[in-house]
Amino acid sequence: MSGDILIVAEHLEGRLAPSTFEVVSLGRALAAASGGVVRVALFGQGVRALAEALAKLGVEVLLVEDVALAEYTGDGYVLAVRGLLESAKPRLLLAAHTAQGYDLAPGLAGALDLPLVTNAVGVRLDGSRLVVTRRLLNEKVQAEIEIASDRMIVGTVRPGSVKAASPAPGGIVVPTKVSIDASRVRMRFARIERPTVQDIDLAAADVIVSAGRGIQKKENLPLIEEFAKAVGGVVGASRPLTDMDWLPKTRQVGQSGKTVHPKLYVACGISGAMQHVAGMKDAGLIVAINTDPSAPIFEVAHVGFVADVLKLLPATLKELTG
Amino acid sequence: MALNIVVCLKQIPNPDLQFQIAPDGKDIRRDALNYKINGADEYALEEAVRLKEKYGGRVVALSLGPKRVDQVLREALAKGADEAVRIAHEDSGTYDVGTVARLLAATVRTLPHDLVLTGVQSDDQGSSATGGLIAGLVGLPHASVVTRVDVKDRILEVATELEGGLQRVYAIPLPALLTIQFGANTPRYAPLPAIMRAARQPIREIAPASVSLPYAFGVRGLSPPIAKGHAEIVTGSVEDQAKKFAQLLREKGFVRR
Ligand SMILES: Cc1cc2nc3c(=O)[nH]c(=O)nc-3n(C[C@H](O)[C@H](O)[C@H](O)COP(=O)(O)OP(=O)(O)OC[C@H]3O[C@@H](n4cnc5c(N)ncnc54)[C@H](O)[C@@H]3O)c2cc1C
Repeated sequence: MSGDILIVAEHLEGRLAPSTFEVVSLGRALAAASGGVVRVALFGQGVRALAEALAKLGVEVLLVEDVALAEYTGDGYVLAVRGLLESAKPRLLLAAHTAQGYDLAPGLAGALDLPLVTNAVGVRLDGSRLVVTRRLLNEKVQAEIEIASDRMIVGTVRPGSVKAASPAPGGIVVPTKVSIDASRVRMRFARIERPTVQDIDLAAADVIVSAGRGIQKKENLPLIEEFAKAVGGVVGASRPLTDMDWLPKTRQVGQSGKTVHPKLYVACGISGAMQHVAGMKDAGLIVAINTDPSAPIFEVAHVGFVADVLKLLPATLKELTG
Repeated sequence: MALNIVVCLKQIPNPDLQFQIAPDGKDIRRDALNYKINGADEYALEEAVRLKEKYGGRVVALSLGPKRVDQVLREALAKGADEAVRIAHEDSGTYDVGTVARLLAATVRTLPHDLVLTGVQSDDQGSSATGGLIAGLVGLPHASVVTRVDVKDRILEVATELEGGLQRVYAIPLPALLTIQFGANTPRYAPLPAIMRAARQPIREIAPASVSLPYAFGVRGLSPPIAKGHAEIVTGSVEDQAKKFAQLLREKGFVRR
């Protein structure tokens, strides 16, 4: 089998996903190590400009255009990959571990009976084996696993775990014909829906004090609000709180909410799941308050208080005002 | 339009705990763990029961694992599942999602299924792959990170969540598989009489199918995460910590006094 690597690019509404650039960077490094070629498959309709943007990374871009690929569907993309595999035998197929990536990768691996490993934070080749680092149990344990197979291995890479690829010479767009039987695409794209609620723009705030499930009860929110006010900030939240309607959806920080870059971010009773961290890890100063010293939030925080937030905040307010 | 629904549920170690690595380095220490139903699966179960209540039909709760997993299945029965099936599987670790999905898929094939539901991810392995794999193996269309489900004339309309809060809406014909997102609904509490009834209901235990894997899988080793950055940890009494916190906020100019 070749040491070639095939990457499936992700795009939406005319824009490439930032995570695709990270996967390209990983793919380039792995191909260099295995003496193979890295190719990026771009599926869509009328997306030539995106293919050219990808080619600037110094890779071969397989541009597959078809009306059946105008919008992402799992079925359409599986058929497109299947088509590409008729003439290529990559060792590894990679996508980002995004909502789209972990829709596609398992569906593909199931349909084609291929080995699969997802949500990797590290990937390397060790002879004929693929060695993958993953995070388990709410980020508290790291595992190294290995897969060996004579078939193509399908993998997804967690966004933020590799640096994005920078431009390089030698890239090329190769328009590639794949025949896609539209009758085999069982689902139909209907529309994109956007959030409509009016609220403050969390992304514009300099100081955010976010509450997580560790604040225990909705009745404790005024404490967070009072503290936010004392430090000139606004209140944000982890997802469980907005799911429970303690705060509007607009206050949710993270992968499926807002990405924020405040000067100060105070995480109150937030464990630090990857989807939350994705939205706040680039804040200037991150202070975390958590009773669990093994909470992964302390990995991204600059200053950590192992404390009961319901005690530490009132005591700190007293210090500030008293 | 009655629906035959299969909902896959996983029992996981409570992720709020602290974990230790087993002496052989290949698993966590399992002697002092407590287990619970996987977070996202609670939403999958609730969605299954709501769809049954709306359209009629049956819900079969399916899980895989040793006897202790029955607890999760009883919870499902108490919340409205009609039948519970456990694939007996002693390997408590099951680090390979491909093995798990192939075992589940083999059983899904034997059950009537218009709709198969799973949670979007498990909080122990975090693969977000079981649902999609089952769909691919069984040959069902699927959608991931589903926040809303409607059914009309055997066509599902589902909203799937993307990064940044956008939703992508699809129409998907039955039979199909969906992975259900946190917050898709509000999971119910089981009423006491239902809990008592569920305690007496049978759980069908079946032997795992023999599956052939197109690969060899191994755990090389577990370790505490190698921290990328390291927070400066402030210890001491709450009063001491509060003094330090206030001082930090003043030094950095976030409060004036
Ligand atoms: C597709 C997808 C998208 C997601 N998107 C997002 C997103 O955008 N944003 C997001 O936040 N999540 C998101 N999630 C959910 C995410 O995986 C976590 O479930 C969530 O972030 C956990 O929230 P939490 O930290 O508040 O709760 P938990 O994980 O339950 O953590 C609570 C923490 O509080 C601590 N604690 C308890 N009591 C106290 C106390 N008295 N004082 C101090 N600390 C205490 C505990 O030790 C624990 O660490 C997403 C999940 C999926 C699957």
